[in-house]
Amino acid sequence: MKTNVIIVEERQRAFKSLRTDEISERQKLKVRYHVEDFDVNDRPRRFLEAFAAILKHSNYRVALDHFIRVSAKCSRCATTCHVYQATGNPKDIPCYRSELLLSVYRRHFTMGGMLRSRVAGTGHLTDEKVQKMADSFYDCTACRRCNHECPSGIDHGLITHLGRYILSEIGIAPRALVVSTREQLEGASGNTSAIPVPALIDTLEFLSEDMREEKRVNITFPLDVEGSEFVFFPAVSDFLMEAETLMGIAAVFTATGDSWTTGTGYFDGINYGLFYSDRILERVVKKIDIETRRLKGSKVLIGECGHASRSAKQFLPVYCGGKDAYPVVNIMEYTWDVWKAGRLKLDPNVVTEKVTYHDPCNIARQGWIVDKPRELLKAFCKNYVELSPNGEDAVCCGGGGGTVSIDEIRPYRTMVGGKVKADQIRKSGCKILVAPCANCKKQLKELVEDQKIECEVVGLHDLIYKAIIFDDSLKVSPDEKQTGEEE
Amino acid sequence: MDAWLEFARGPLFRLSFGVMMLGLLRILLLDLYGAWEAYRRAGDKTLPWGYIIRRTLVWFFPFNKVLKGRPFYSICSILFHIGLILVPVLLFAHIQLWQSGVGISWPALPKPVADWLTISTIVFALALFIGRSFSRMSSFLSRKQDYLWPLLLLLPFVTGYVCANMSVGASTYQVTMLIHILSAELIFVLLPFTKIAHCILLPFSQFVSCVAWRFPADTDDAVCTTLNKKGAPV
Repeated sequence: MKTNVIIVEERQRAFKSLRTDEISERQKLKVRYHVEDFDVNDRPRRFLEAFAAILKHSNYRVALDHFIRVSAKCSRCATTCHVYQATGNPKDIPCYRSELLLSVYRRHFTMGGMLRSRVAGTGHLTDEKVQKMADSFYDCTACRRCNHECPSGIDHGLITHLGRYILSEIGIAPRALVVSTREQLEGASGNTSAIPVPALIDTLEFLSEDMREEKRVNITFPLDVEGSEFVFFPAVSDFLMEAETLMGIAAVFTATGDSWTTGTGYFDGINYGLFYSDRILERVVKKIDIETRRLKGSKVLIGECGHASRSAKQFLPVYCGGKDAYPVVNIMEYTWDVWKAGRLKLDPNVVTEKVTYHDPCNIARQGWIVDKPRELLKAFCKNYVELSPNGEDAVCCGGGGGTVSIDEIRPYRTMVGGKVKADQIRKSGCKILVAPCANCKKQLKELVEDQKIECEVVGLHDLIYKAIIFDDSLKVSPDEKQTGEEE
Repeated sequence: MDAWLEFARGPLFRLSFGVMMLGLLRILLLDLYGAWEAYRRAGDKTLPWGYIIRRTLVWFFPFNKVLKGRPFYSICSILFHIGLILVPVLLFAHIQLWQSGVGISWPALPKPVADWLTISTIVFALALFIGRSFSRMSSFLSRKQDYLWPLLLLLPFVTGYVCANMSVGASTYQVTMLIHILSAELIFVLLPFTKIAHCILLPFSQFVSCVAWRFPADTDDAVCTTLNKKGAPV
């Protein structure tokens, strides 16, 4: 992958005056998403072949047919796109991006388009256009906010999703995502972070010891316990980078006594298929189903991760039995349920700083989980403020759609993709930013660092871990032997 | 000239109106059939009806949307659409024609209201055209039809207003009326084949999007087989 890193002076200049073509061009990083070597001249033919195969075996055709008929080109989506707002480059308008693929569909897969091209002799897919799509579809963070602002109801997120899927079939996909997925589906460790099971067990034992020292409670991570109600799939990177979130989750389960387990056969909620390929999406979702079946669990529990939650919630029923698929619960839903039922007590005097909540797009955009984390936070954070806008209309962190995993484009993510979010955070004046999503957390941490905002980015359960009050019956004396690890 | 007017009012109107109705019916049926086919193949058959209905109604009554993005353009667009729909359907003179032709009628708008709506439609059509031409975002996206539609829609409104309200000579009246009828008929014929198809498809946009997100099960294997990629590494 080739990148042009922007120097500090250029960045400062870019923020002073955003809406000029010159700046827009400078802000564009020339990232190429090729995974394997390919024959340049052959790409249009292979693109169309892949497009045809996908149309044949999917439900995209109905949406494309509908969208090419209703698109009014009003450009209202531009007012809501955080990428366009930062660059001012019309090529970042969602409707323009969608038109790249819709025009290919119109020309090559509809009768009218084929007839018109016979008359005019133009409009066929070129290699240049394939490259345009490769760049454009990964400039988008797939937050789907524009979908809410389109009067014609065009789902630009769906089109970007399809565009990336077709591109991946001809070998154009972000290397970072493909390498991780390869390890997840074909590697020895079977997860995107390549964590071997012994290392996982070590980490969890270490965390348990840590928590026992701190809280004087035996807080464990049950492994491979058959018949547990919940089988837990966090974003696997949490084991490496977000230990406090996992500690908070374990603490909640210890406080409630409900049965949960992590399976050593498969313990990764991450599903990059949602970002670039439906075939990968299906394979990963099926791994979750198989592990839950192996452990005779009754519900799939996803950790603090937006895309992992959505890919399981939305696609487990698609690929694993429709109505009979395992119910999918996000950890915030579980924690809210037990708190509402009075089974979880939180100390309102622990977190005193100004706290705000960032809605991960994959969780909030369709109104799935919006109020529950807010109610929880308000219950124990005295100084809670809202970002504006929020909820279903929340602004993307700037690292959505898998782009956060591409380290080479960090400057693009933090100065272009995350520009609007950074302004929003700054305006709120918060000192703690709660982001219950592994992707959002990584992006927001880099964002506040690059944008020099004094604010700590944490998960919801990081704070719950701080504020949780355990029943005295759970307390152990310092020298009491630790139990539970062998369950 | 009378013969031309008779021809435009009679056979040509019936033909263009028929093309419009059949064309709209065709795309509506194709759309719904496509959605049904997709639904039949979907691995998950539950649809978020509450979400679909809510998001559809938001755009039928876009009050809280107006000021959020491009307020001037949005207000112009809404007011333009109100006149565009109400005037042709509820104009007394038009209803009279239906009454004398096929014997059906319905309540009409009072004439002053119809006149003001006509003027507002003309003004807002021009505003939309100017807005599109001078907005950097819109002009970048616009195709030829996006510029031509507001202008084409202006024609029957301007000519209709002239015929109804201005004292012009008999021959001018006839020419204006002929333009009025022919432009309306051109609109009828083009309507199902251009972006104006949204007049019938719009209520189904959210539904269609949700159905498209309901993927069929086991497509990995099927796509691999079609693309001859079975067993290929990730």
